[in-house]
Amino acid sequence: MENAVHTHQLTKKFGSFIATDAITFDVAQGEIFGFLGANGAGKTTAMRMLCGLLKPSSGEATVAGFDVYRQSEKIKQNIGYMSQRFSLYEDLTVRENIRFYGGIYGLRRADIPVKTDQILRKLGIETVADSLVASLPLGWKQKLAFSVALIHEPKIVFLDEPTGGVDPITRRQFWDLIYEAAHGGTTVFVTTHYMDEAEYCHRVSIMVDGKMKALDTPSGLKTAYNVDSMDAVFQILARGTSTK
Amino acid sequence: MNRIWYMVEKEIRQLRRNPVLLRIMILAPIMQLILLSYAANYEVKNLNIAVIDGDHTTYSQRLVGKFRHLDNFNLTGYLSSDKQARQTLLAGDADLVLVILPHFERDLEKAGSTAVQLLVNAIDGSKAGIANGYATAIIRDFSSDIVAETRAVSPGGGPQLTIENQYWYNPKLEYKTFMVPGVLFELLLLVGGLVSALNIVREKEIGTMEQLNVTPIRKHEFILGKSIPFLIVGLGLFTVGLLLGRFLFQIRIEGSVALMYVFALLFLILCVGLGLLISTLAENQQQALFVSFFLLVLFILLSGLFASTENMPVWAQWLNWFNPLKYIIEVGRNVMLKGSTFTDVSRPFFVLAGMAVGLLLLASWRYRKTV
Repeated sequence: MENAVHTHQLTKKFGSFIATDAITFDVAQGEIFGFLGANGAGKTTAMRMLCGLLKPSSGEATVAGFDVYRQSEKIKQNIGYMSQRFSLYEDLTVRENIRFYGGIYGLRRADIPVKTDQILRKLGIETVADSLVASLPLGWKQKLAFSVALIHEPKIVFLDEPTGGVDPITRRQFWDLIYEAAHGGTTVFVTTHYMDEAEYCHRVSIMVDGKMKALDTPSGLKTAYNVDSMDAVFQILARGTSTK
Repeated sequence: MNRIWYMVEKEIRQLRRNPVLLRIMILAPIMQLILLSYAANYEVKNLNIAVIDGDHTTYSQRLVGKFRHLDNFNLTGYLSSDKQARQTLLAGDADLVLVILPHFERDLEKAGSTAVQLLVNAIDGSKAGIANGYATAIIRDFSSDIVAETRAVSPGGGPQLTIENQYWYNPKLEYKTFMVPGVLFELLLLVGGLVSALNIVREKEIGTMEQLNVTPIRKHEFILGKSIPFLIVGLGLFTVGLLLGRFLFQIRIEGSVALMYVFALLFLILCVGLGLLISTLAENQQQALFVSFFLLVLFILLSGLFASTENMPVWAQWLNWFNPLKYIIEVGRNVMLKGSTFTDVSRPFFVLAGMAVGLLLLASWRYRKTV
């Protein structure tokens, strides 16, 4: 089966600053792929290149089989994206947001109400369907944004620090949604700096200063570095120190 | 195609959710239309004039007398010296001082010519220009009286030179009549250009722009989806303005109303194109506001809304080649007040259409989903 994401020596320079330095990796279909790193490590830049928002400086990358240089619009039809900046319209209601993005992603007019009911029911937010998004708690907004990113049933969904600023229980619920999506065959590409979330991923890559320092399953990484948590792995790689 | 509709629907919903903006967008222009039309009045009345009469003869008295009998002038008194004249002007007690030199009458009779001096307070340049114009006309009138009298020795008399003005298209010299069409289009520039630019830049700031950029929405779908709501609002505003002009200011539209709307739509497309272009260049609302404001003030001041473009320096007239507001205000005045037809205003039509297409092309070239 073809890989959902493939990169080879993918690089992005801003002037003399190398944000993403020759990263090479593959993501299999249906995989939950974690992208870890400190702030400014180059996670978001890499993700933006894969989503067709940013032109790479050099290297190769394909997403859903499409080339990031020449076929970025094809890529956009096949991916969902949820950024760390909140991406729903606060001055529209829940229902209106779903309707708008459904329309933009080219859902058929008749399908939109059906899809809307599905999302509302799944998230258990039927009661606030006609409230403005601005009035929802952050955790609900994030779950809604995730569902909206999946509205067109994309092959791959990119999540850029999707759970920033919410409590552990809400984060856990959010990850249930991620598992559900992955179970349905959607590839999930997620950046995070919560180490407990790293444990939930099938495979994890750790970026430090634009370079990819490690790539393996969470258990594989823990074994390789002889530690018992992803946090410890990260400490060793990112800071060059051990917490032990 | 469908996506355009979803964009329009969303924009209109958001606009309705923002009653303050909506109110400002509708009320502010109306206020401006009323205020500017009433306040921007160039008629100069009650000019205070002081006189230094160095001659004290019949002729000099007659000249001063001419100023006395006019509404526009208000004779404040006689002064005795240049120094006093300077003080009077400085204190603002007189707008102009007429200086009649000694031997005024003698020179006039013997040499057939003499000079008088006008000192004009030119702090307000346009007022000074008008005051000077009035005064010069009066003096010329006086001199032609004298010429006529000296020739009157021969029977039949000499020709009496009078300056007679006829004001066409605006017979009562109503500045409101002149201002309304101009202000009307200036307002479209405000809504179409400034508000649309801010709207898009706001999406950049919130982050929804990035979200839209990862969707398969096409450039033209985005641009049309963003433009159409502003065209609708703009045309609505234009209608309100026309109605105000008709019923509040009693300005009859001499030309075709349909032609006015064609130009309004064309101009709005141009303005939205400009707004889009600004929004692609600006990173945040401050930048967009600054750039729009800079252009707006430049366009308005050069446009001929307040001052005649013909009297501007050549370089300013060159700049005006690129000033859409200048063309549209001319068209507006001609169609509304003179009843010009499309043939009369076809040149500005094509110039404006060219600008609109150019701006839209530039904006869609600058608008990139991938940076």
